[in-house]
Amino acid sequence: MPKVRRSRKQPPDGWELIEPTLEELEQKMREAETEPHEGKRITESLWPIFKIHHQKTRYIYDLFYRRKAISRELYDYCLKEKIADGNLIAKWKKSGYENLCCLRCIQTRDTNFGTNCICRVPKSKLEEGRIVECVHCGCRGCSG
Amino acid sequence: MSMSKTTNTYNRQNWEDAEFPILCQTCLGDNPYVRMIKERFGKECKICTRPFTIFRWCPGARMRFKKTEVCQTCARLKNVCQTCLLDLEFGLPIQVRDAALKVADNMPQSDVNKEYYIQNIDAQLQDGDGTEAAGAVGRSLAANEMLSKLARTAPYYKRNRPHICSFWVKGECKRGEECPYRHDKPNEPDDPLCEQNIKDRYYGRNDPVAEKIMKRAASLPTLDPPEDRNITTLYVGNLPEEITEPEIRDQFYQYGEIRSIALVPRQQCSFVQYTKRSAAELAAERTFNKLVIHGRKVSIKWAHSQAKQGTAAKTDRRFDVAGIPPPSAKPNDYFNLRQEQINVMPAGMKLHQLPTNLVPASAYQMYAQPTYAAPYSGLGVASTSSAAAASGSASGSSGVNLDSIPPPPGQMPYPSQDASRMGALKK
Repeated sequence: MPKVRRSRKQPPDGWELIEPTLEELEQKMREAETEPHEGKRITESLWPIFKIHHQKTRYIYDLFYRRKAISRELYDYCLKEKIADGNLIAKWKKSGYENLCCLRCIQTRDTNFGTNCICRVPKSKLEEGRIVECVHCGCRGCSG
Repeated sequence: MSMSKTTNTYNRQNWEDAEFPILCQTCLGDNPYVRMIKERFGKECKICTRPFTIFRWCPGARMRFKKTEVCQTCARLKNVCQTCLLDLEFGLPIQVRDAALKVADNMPQSDVNKEYYIQNIDAQLQDGDGTEAAGAVGRSLAANEMLSKLARTAPYYKRNRPHICSFWVKGECKRGEECPYRHDKPNEPDDPLCEQNIKDRYYGRNDPVAEKIMKRAASLPTLDPPEDRNITTLYVGNLPEEITEPEIRDQFYQYGEIRSIALVPRQQCSFVQYTKRSAAELAAERTFNKLVIHGRKVSIKWAHSQAKQGTAAKTDRRFDVAGIPPPSAKPNDYFNLRQEQINVMPAGMKLHQLPTNLVPASAYQMYAQPTYAAPYSGLGVASTSSAAAASGSASGSSGVNLDSIPPPPGQMPYPSQDASRMGALKK
């Protein structure tokens, strides 16, 4: 079933080119939402949601800002329809946050000591060669 | 049902609020920059079950987060760390410390009694200074050298390690490298150290770690005083080369009046003799395994009565096996041919079961000086043991000279000891 359209208007011109990829991503999201929770930690069951959300937003962002393959009109349409996350893209535009995994990981109110998530620490600063999967989105390091 | 901390007002006055935790150095970890979270009334105290302020921190990289488990009142009562329940001064379990200091607390341990007691102590503590230990321990906290010996010298951070990953034990850990729990084999399930209980540890009863430490303490080398009450001489060995008699005197005069000091520089030893036996015992207790002269740890032993020469410090162990008669005072009588001295030992009794004053000690004989040989025959007369009783008429003579008794056939490790077999005895 195609995604619900919030606005009455028809999507702008380049829509047919991007629609199949977007449909695939939405299908992935639906599967992630209905996955059983067996064998996973509580926090771990949410990780695919954040990952696919990041992927969708990344796709639109890349198309517009990097490849410049869609028009501004189509880009704005995607943002309005909440196909891509505008807040996340706003962070990606800042230096140092280009690969930010999700918005939860920079929310300092969520941590005990008012810091960012461990995945925001660059790998060079994180000694011991240890693997981190952050608890919010399962990210393994989004800035280093 | 009041679920939140603010709506529940039952007995709120009893709840404990604190500003700073009472912790030991190992629990805090090696990082001096430790970040701690404070939560007012976050958990119940494990002992008195009152809500109290918990503090939570990370004691270092790859350590599990630790938090305070018992409230400050309970911790102060026993002078222990709030997390690990080990003594703040020595780092030893409560049971060990109380046994060494002979502190008997008698605090009530159950139900309303306990709550009432804690409540009162809490009121007391609030009036006083927050820094001293309360209760029985506070009154008797002396620096105890036994405890200092048992205590650790360096912090033991293995305590702060994460718990064992139970998934890994089953082979199912999917987290792999990033798993914060320990991928180590768990302890044997029948290890007594596995069954520890916080209440037992706190009240000092049944604590397996404490028992282990106390067993280790009991097996520390000690110096027993010899049975001969006339010996008041200590052998001091491993002395440095340049030691002089006044220096030895300085070290030993504090325990009592010194009768004489004999210094044998060649053997790096000396013999310190006191006038009173109690002084000698005190000196032995105070210096054994402790005295260090000029950087060298001197070895303290009791001297044997005769030999003031250095070699007498070693007892001749060759004759300690039951059944072999020690060398007799009369060196020519190798085959026990002197009939009047043969005496049959009571059946079944081994040589070492005889009271010690009848057993001729080995080395003495070898280096016997005539003046000191006398005590043994004298002791033989004075015996009242069952050996004398059983051997009835035979002991009526000048004394049981056990040197020449052939061991009864049942106790001889070697056939050659059986004198009758070898035809040595005249029948």
